[in-house]
Amino acid sequence: MSSIILEARDIRYRYPRGLEAICGISFHIRKKEKIALVGPNGAGKSTLLTMFNGMIRPDSGLMLFDNLPIQYDTPSLRMLRKRVGFVLQNPDRQIIAPTVYQDVAFGPTNLGYSEPEVKEAVTQALRHVGLEGFERRPPHQLSGGEKKRVAIAGVLAMDPDVLVFDEPTSGLDPSGSEDIMELLDELNHEGKTIIISTHDVELAYPWADRAILMLNGKILKEDIPEVAFGNPESVRKAHLSVPTLLELHMELQKRGFLLHGKKPRTVLDMMQCIETLFEKSVSKKRHGMITVCNVDLKTRENLPKWLSEHTGICTGAMGTRAKQCAENLKIHLDFTYSVIDKCILKALLGEDSVILTTESMVKRVYLRVEAYGLESGVHIPIYHISTAPEEPNEKNKSLP
Amino acid sequence: MFEELLEDIAQKNGLREVNAYLKLAAGLGAILLCLLSSSYLSPLFIAIVLTCAILILAKVDAKTYAELFIVPFWFAIMSVAGIILITGGQDIFWQWNILPSFSLSITRESINQGMFVFCRVIGGMSAMIFIALTTPMTDIFIVFRQCRVPEVVIDLMMIIYRTIFILIDQVIQIYQAQVMRLGYSTYSESLHSFATLCGAAFIASWDAGEDLIRAMDARCYDGKFALLGESRPVERIPCLAVVCFLFLSTASVIASGTMTII
Repeated sequence: MSSIILEARDIRYRYPRGLEAICGISFHIRKKEKIALVGPNGAGKSTLLTMFNGMIRPDSGLMLFDNLPIQYDTPSLRMLRKRVGFVLQNPDRQIIAPTVYQDVAFGPTNLGYSEPEVKEAVTQALRHVGLEGFERRPPHQLSGGEKKRVAIAGVLAMDPDVLVFDEPTSGLDPSGSEDIMELLDELNHEGKTIIISTHDVELAYPWADRAILMLNGKILKEDIPEVAFGNPESVRKAHLSVPTLLELHMELQKRGFLLHGKKPRTVLDMMQCIETLFEKSVSKKRHGMITVCNVDLKTRENLPKWLSEHTGICTGAMGTRAKQCAENLKIHLDFTYSVIDKCILKALLGEDSVILTTESMVKRVYLRVEAYGLESGVHIPIYHISTAPEEPNEKNKSLP
Repeated sequence: MFEELLEDIAQKNGLREVNAYLKLAAGLGAILLCLLSSSYLSPLFIAIVLTCAILILAKVDAKTYAELFIVPFWFAIMSVAGIILITGGQDIFWQWNILPSFSLSITRESINQGMFVFCRVIGGMSAMIFIALTTPMTDIFIVFRQCRVPEVVIDLMMIIYRTIFILIDQVIQIYQAQVMRLGYSTYSESLHSFATLCGAAFIASWDAGEDLIRAMDARCYDGKFALLGESRPVERIPCLAVVCFLFLSTASVIASGTMTII
């Protein structure tokens, strides 16, 4: 287990002339964790989040960052805010400057970076969120999702260790929400700790490592999502709903179906549950294979040719740069979110698929597919595009 | 909305990539020459050249340009009508004695004066619109900074510029919410609605201000605003074009002298 990065010890906070917003909360967050703070409106989620970067000082109790109590003098707060990036719910309120470049450069400039360093930081941050070439655009001409990305880039440019998002998907369309959630995954994969607040259970359930259910300024439940959302009583108390997959799983169990393995968090997990339930002889079926293409390598130029040789193959893109690359090469994408799971599902149906992804995510694809293989006992062949066998179907037939 | 439309065009027009100094030199130079000229001819020349530049070089839609021009144009027509009727002169074409001490007349001098003012107005207007349509505010900020306008002033301008659009959005939303609930149906009702609108807009801007401070603090605000991007290089052809335009305009100012229409 990695070390603790943020910790709260019995913190309390009362708004001036108001109700007690936080009444005695203690918890800790480890490095590289994905935490979802879930609760109804007015549960104190946002208040708690603003304590993480010292915008609000608790009336009593102790907040610790990196095992040191947070100091509330100006220089310490600056250091804290450099390391804990905060993305507000409303990007319009977060974007300060008249152009995208200036806004993203705001943090680095104030941290005293030199001009080339600022430029480098801005370029990197914009690349990260997939907004290259937007430097000179004024923010009011951007769409909601793009504004959100600018706001995230503005925080990323300071290279924080912890990223705090207040309602990251509010006001976005479903595909925009999925894009943002995937961006958060990507950032987490690069070693950042991510904390989000949301009341969208379906969104938090498959994404989070740990969920914290809040109600009336208190922590109702704090556990892995399967457990945190698995208790209908506490979920109802928190004015939330049980995630559909979890509910389905529970209903199946109630009807006497013996479901093995862990509780399903994705459609893939659910499929596995159901397939084992009906004991389909998985080994006899031919599985499709998954091909991975790293868009950061030169091989991407062969991609259109490769795809034209493999017609009917499903294409998915993971990560903003991969999606951009697909757009540039005019590749039609079948999947743009939860790509690995969807490709495994396709493979189980005997169809081949290709995943376009970035350098840092290639390993994750392999790990996920291997982990699935271990769990389910189903071997799904996975290749890199340059080493993929020319006749995928022939190769597959010889597999056990 | 109109102001958003202007910024949109400024961001996308055909002269977007031309150095901001050149565009400002052309626009401001034109305004100056319009004011210096004592004949109607050179402002007219400037208006025609700049209109062509806006329509052909900047590729601004003619309809949009006409819409922008129509308001000051009518204003100019009405003022000029007043000038022509009121200004007296020797060579009288038409006269109407309303009162013993006051008469309306059209004279050679008044027509000349009216024409002169009218051309000045459209010359100046086309120069203003030229700047507004070709140079985005963000480029003008760069120029301000390079001209050593105090940082505080520029920072304030940038924040105001950014906030205007957010506030306008909010005002429109509040206004629409009022109209949907029949806010402006009668005269007294519209007075009341307008007062509520102002109040709500004030509270919204106050909120936005507090959020702005918070957003800046959250990103380690230390009194510094990011440096603006560098301006585009001065290219030879646009530079020559601007020099030519200013030279020809100056020449027309000198050559036309005090030439009048009749």
